[in-house]
Amino acid sequence: MSVIAPDFKLSGFIKSLLDNIFWILTLLVLIGVPAIFIILFVIPLPIIDGELLSPFLAFAALVNPTRLLPIIHAFLTTDIFKVMVFPGFGFAVLLAASVIFAERKMMAKIQLRVGPFYCGKVEGVLQLMGDGLKLISKEIIIPAKADKPIFWAAPVLFVATAAAFVALIPVAPGWVVADIDLGLLGVFAVIGFFPIITILSAWSANSKYPFIGGIRALFQMVSFEIPLILSLLGVVMVTGTLNLSEISASQSNFPWIIFLPIGAIVFFITMLAELERIPFDLPEAESEIVAGWLTELSGMMYGLVQLGSYLKLYAFAALFVVLFLGGWNGPMVVPAFPEQIITEGIEMGPITLTIEGLGPLLHDTITQEMLNGTLWFVLKTAGVIFFIILPRGVFPRVRVDILLNLGWTKLIGLCFINIFIALGLVYAGVIGPGGLV
Amino acid sequence: MTTELPSDIKPTSSKILLEKPSSDWLPPGLALQKVDERIMTLNVGPQHPGSGHMRLIVQIDGDYIVACDPDPGYVHRGEEKMAEYRNYITNIPHLERPVIHDSCNILYPYVLGVEELLGIEVPERAKYVRVIAAELNRCIYIMYWLAIYGIFLGHSTMFMWPTGDRELLIDLMEKMTGARVTHSHFIPGGVRNDLPSNFEDVCLRQVNYFEKRIKEYAAVFYDNPILISRTQNTGVLSRQDAIRLGVTGSVLRASGIDFDVRKKEPYDVYDELDIQSIVMKEGDAYARSKIPWLDMLDSCNIIRQALQKMPKSGSVRVKLKPNPKGKGFDTVYKRVESGRGSLGCYIVSDGKPEPYRLKLSVPSFRNLIALPYLLKGEKLGNMPSVYWSLNYWPVEADR
Amino acid sequence: MSSASEKPVEVKPEEKPTTDSKPVVKKPEEKPTTDSKPVVKKPEEKPTTDSKPVVKKPEEKPVELPAFEKSISDKIVEKFGDKVEVAFIKKDRVGINVSRENVHDVAEFIRDGLNYDHVESVSGVDYPQEKEIAVVYHIGSYTDPSLARQILVLSTRAQREENPIPGSDATKLPTLRDIFYSVEFHEREIFEMFGVYFEGHPDNRRLLLPEDWADLPPLRKDFTIKGR
Repeated sequence: MSVIAPDFKLSGFIKSLLDNIFWILTLLVLIGVPAIFIILFVIPLPIIDGELLSPFLAFAALVNPTRLLPIIHAFLTTDIFKVMVFPGFGFAVLLAASVIFAERKMMAKIQLRVGPFYCGKVEGVLQLMGDGLKLISKEIIIPAKADKPIFWAAPVLFVATAAAFVALIPVAPGWVVADIDLGLLGVFAVIGFFPIITILSAWSANSKYPFIGGIRALFQMVSFEIPLILSLLGVVMVTGTLNLSEISASQSNFPWIIFLPIGAIVFFITMLAELERIPFDLPEAESEIVAGWLTELSGMMYGLVQLGSYLKLYAFAALFVVLFLGGWNGPMVVPAFPEQIITEGIEMGPITLTIEGLGPLLHDTITQEMLNGTLWFVLKTAGVIFFIILPRGVFPRVRVDILLNLGWTKLIGLCFINIFIALGLVYAGVIGPGGLV
Repeated sequence: MTTELPSDIKPTSSKILLEKPSSDWLPPGLALQKVDERIMTLNVGPQHPGSGHMRLIVQIDGDYIVACDPDPGYVHRGEEKMAEYRNYITNIPHLERPVIHDSCNILYPYVLGVEELLGIEVPERAKYVRVIAAELNRCIYIMYWLAIYGIFLGHSTMFMWPTGDRELLIDLMEKMTGARVTHSHFIPGGVRNDLPSNFEDVCLRQVNYFEKRIKEYAAVFYDNPILISRTQNTGVLSRQDAIRLGVTGSVLRASGIDFDVRKKEPYDVYDELDIQSIVMKEGDAYARSKIPWLDMLDSCNIIRQALQKMPKSGSVRVKLKPNPKGKGFDTVYKRVESGRGSLGCYIVSDGKPEPYRLKLSVPSFRNLIALPYLLKGEKLGNMPSVYWSLNYWPVEADR
Repeated sequence: MSSASEKPVEVKPEEKPTTDSKPVVKKPEEKPTTDSKPVVKKPEEKPTTDSKPVVKKPEEKPVELPAFEKSISDKIVEKFGDKVEVAFIKKDRVGINVSRENVHDVAEFIRDGLNYDHVESVSGVDYPQEKEIAVVYHIGSYTDPSLARQILVLSTRAQREENPIPGSDATKLPTLRDIFYSVEFHEREIFEMFGVYFEGHPDNRRLLLPEDWADLPPLRKDFTIKGR
């Protein structure tokens, strides 16, 4: 047997640490400082607390870290932060990544396996990163007779559409990338893009199995979009709005799933179909049509489609939470930030540390409600995703005709029942604008 | 002499696939040459996750299969030719290669045939050991088959569970024979080694646990409403067609014909054991997929009976002369019930140590004939379930 | 792929022992076969090696013949008389030798008159010395419970060519596919492995061998494995 660490020497260990520190410092000085200079002198800078963020102020912030807080505050309120980081793309990707990992571990537990185990020491947490690196390093092979521009564009479009979907989801009060009045209509519009992208990708690959898979995806998505839209009409009727933030806020007392359970069930089933999850993964049915419309995609193109589909998974689960499970509403569990730290500072013996700029940051941006809302939202979304993934362990795949039959007859019928229930509730004065509840 | 069918075992479907034989009637495979504009030809395999080591040339019109032509032969290894160059003992290891996870059963007819040719009488204990090994191997094969059937239907749990539970029996076989899959355990005149000490207890315990475990599969697989809706009434093989096509094993018994070689023509000690050959009358993919599972439960019963009735001591093999040879020109045809159906071995001997001709009549090859008939007119989505419900193992069909 | 120079070298040692063993077995049995010999028109049918040991047995101890199997063979002999030859009667196995002109009729009688309904196995056996290729059908029955144990071994012989051109030489037999559907793939396999063309079979394509196989049919005795 080979020995992993043949002989350990303390001096060698310390030397390696010192080496690392040396190289980090060197790189910082050689690259980091010039980068800061270039950014500060070339790029126009935002106005913070009534004064322009000049290089002088920026360097002052380096000296006194508390002066960074206004800059952070200003950055948190920008659109770019919302789009890229918190309610938008970064947050969704992080959540999706953890979802993939959780799915793999959960499936392994159901199937009496171990799952990802080695990569990242602890239960294989870095497996996903390894997979991503593998996909990036793979060669991208394009079929010779493919329609190349469309074939290239399709994965990118897929991710972009999924990200647009994510942008419409309100995570916490006020925390939404695009808070539009017709938000739900926007969701429908965005969902309508997916079958088009799928069929474009499938057709442009100029290959048989992608073609069959694309046609199947088209059938499936188009026929399930109708029950999907109809199942949400009940919620729109009782709330009287299409704005997702308002729908979310309207459920402060009761989530709509209590009053409209049929709509929730129908929406959940259509969601599975739209997401191409088992038991509705016909467009990617492995034993019939290889990988369906993904057959010819390779390397990072495949990785992008996977990323997009997991973003889509997150977005649909979040939509379910917003519409039926009360969105960010939930009991206040996040403790209030101790006010005397803001007003008086932290007393450490003779020294009192006062942090300037913390007050506006905590009062305006990272408020207690926002943290609490995010927490509940994430918890609920993770729960919904769990139930989306669960069928994969217990169900086989359905057949196309059974699927279409289900979509066109049973689900649409249930949707109308749901709409009648909602109408009844509104006209009886139980819920809705000016209702009892 | 023709037995009229009782009305209750008539197949549910009245669809008769085969018309009366006529000279201008083409098999579905040849219908491929008539190509229409609307028809798309798919080469399912040999590099396709749902084909195995073979190719299915499938023509579809929309979602419906209009013609299917199986093209086996990708793993043809000429076992029959090789057998003509090796003597009766050295033939053993390579003859089990076509189905390595059912290796005892594919050797069984060969060993029985050689024993008849050479005139060897097998000790009683060896016969029981053979029966136990053959039944264990049947379970091992069916578990593997079931795993693939599960993943063909998109049921990944049903892929993992049988693959894992199969290890129980593989460990048992390893304890018994020393090898996990290719046992080479049966030899003319008995079995190669006696059972290890306390094998009976271990075997009984493992088999009991195994039986309990496979009974759980009903909840997750066989009673699953989606599975039932997918496989019921698909690929229906009527009773008459099953007889005409000469299919065998679970495919035959799913069509309402009670034919199990263990029961009809008992070999070794099967006549002393209580075997229920399971028959279903539906003839669809669901019945075909359920019968192997019920067979496994039956096999567990047979193993327990055999363990009970087995002589506790005694010889397990007859000492053979080196290079044994038959007495002049003789032919023998023996058949056994393997995991897939009746498996026959035809040996022509000309009095030399090597067989003059050896033919394996394998159930996969016989069941393959039914595939074009069953797939014609089915939906493309039914292709994996119908194909794999034929209990077909491509390597065995090619030999 | 086996070159012409290789073939005779390989075949010769094999031929000798077979010829050695044959006269030994043949001579004493020539007489019993002659009883049924006038029956057989074909000169190829005479040295049916299948029959020899088996016909010998009933002569020595006729008591051993199983009754049920004997009744089956009797029915066939009764119907076709001289045209068929009973090769052997063993427990559960009845062997019938037929010439290729009559095999179709006999098979039809076996299906309609005797209730056999499917073919389990079709095997070719090459006999280079006799210039014949035997095709052996193992026929069983699912419908008749009394025949469940029985296998009827129907054997027929085709003329063998030294230089075969599969499909367009004299190695031909009538197909039994219109009688027993189950021989469809089996006969295709015999065609590619032995070069026996089945006249009337609708689908005489290759089955297992690759499309570009241009050598001898591989299960014939003159196709030798390299290194053996």
